[in-house]
Amino acid sequence: MGRPRGFDEDEVVRAAVALFARRSYDGTSVDDLVTHLGVHRGSLYKTFGSKRGLYLRALRRHIDHDVAALAQTIAAGGSAEEVRRVLAAGHDLGLLFLAMVERAPADAEVAAETTRALGLLDDATESEQVTNQAIGLLLRGRTTAVQQRTLEGVG
Amino acid sequence: MARVSVDDGDLVVDVEGMDKLWALKSRLTIPLANVRGATADPGIVREGKGIRAPGTYVPGVIVAGTFHDDGERVFWDVHDSAKAVVIQLADEHYARLVIEVADPSSTVDMIEGALGGRH
Repeated sequence: MGRPRGFDEDEVVRAAVALFARRSYDGTSVDDLVTHLGVHRGSLYKTFGSKRGLYLRALRRHIDHDVAALAQTIAAGGSAEEVRRVLAAGHDLGLLFLAMVERAPADAEVAAETTRALGLLDDATESEQVTNQAIGLLLRGRTTAVQQRTLEGVG
Repeated sequence: MARVSVDDGDLVVDVEGMDKLWALKSRLTIPLANVRGATADPGIVREGKGIRAPGTYVPGVIVAGTFHDDGERVFWDVHDSAKAVVIQLADEHYARLVIEVADPSSTVDMIEGALGGRH
């Protein structure tokens, strides 16, 4: 029965995934959200209740879409190249990794979501150890990718 | 400055000291079921507050009273914008409270924690 809000809620949540993944939770102000999501402050509060309300929506969307897509590719026996393609098509797993480090230790609802995400990956790999290795490789990849870009830029 | 506490299923906001005169209301009691969330928002003061209803507004110094913004009734009591917290409500006299508290991040954590996973 909700009134029309004048903006595409899912589009806003999707943009929030990218913003929180880039700036972290504490590093994203409501000013940043208003500027980057193109939604009025009042509408943000009315729709999501709070910054944390929006963050939880964004994290759930990230897991339901990006993490689930990766899990599906792994479960289907996808090659490393296919996994890379899935990551490139989404937001990679930046928000999940940040949430695990920044918010999960302090926020039980975030911890429940990151646990759910790890569960999806565990189900796909059928091995916690393989999940751990995959996460380690993805984290390492984020560092080396930046290094490579910098080196290429210099060369 | 306001003091915020959770008491027996209610969110209690006490507006302290001189602000009582300006904001006209010294205590707001809201059932937690009608609280949708809390956010530290130092940037909100720079935005328009809408049309003033009874209360007081001294530019750059004090924002206190009831304002109407886009058809919504908003309670304001902020001197120091760095300590502004926004509490979003549902089915209440006010659509939202914008108040100043001593420690915004712990106040926000307390309120969000009291919502019992409703987000």
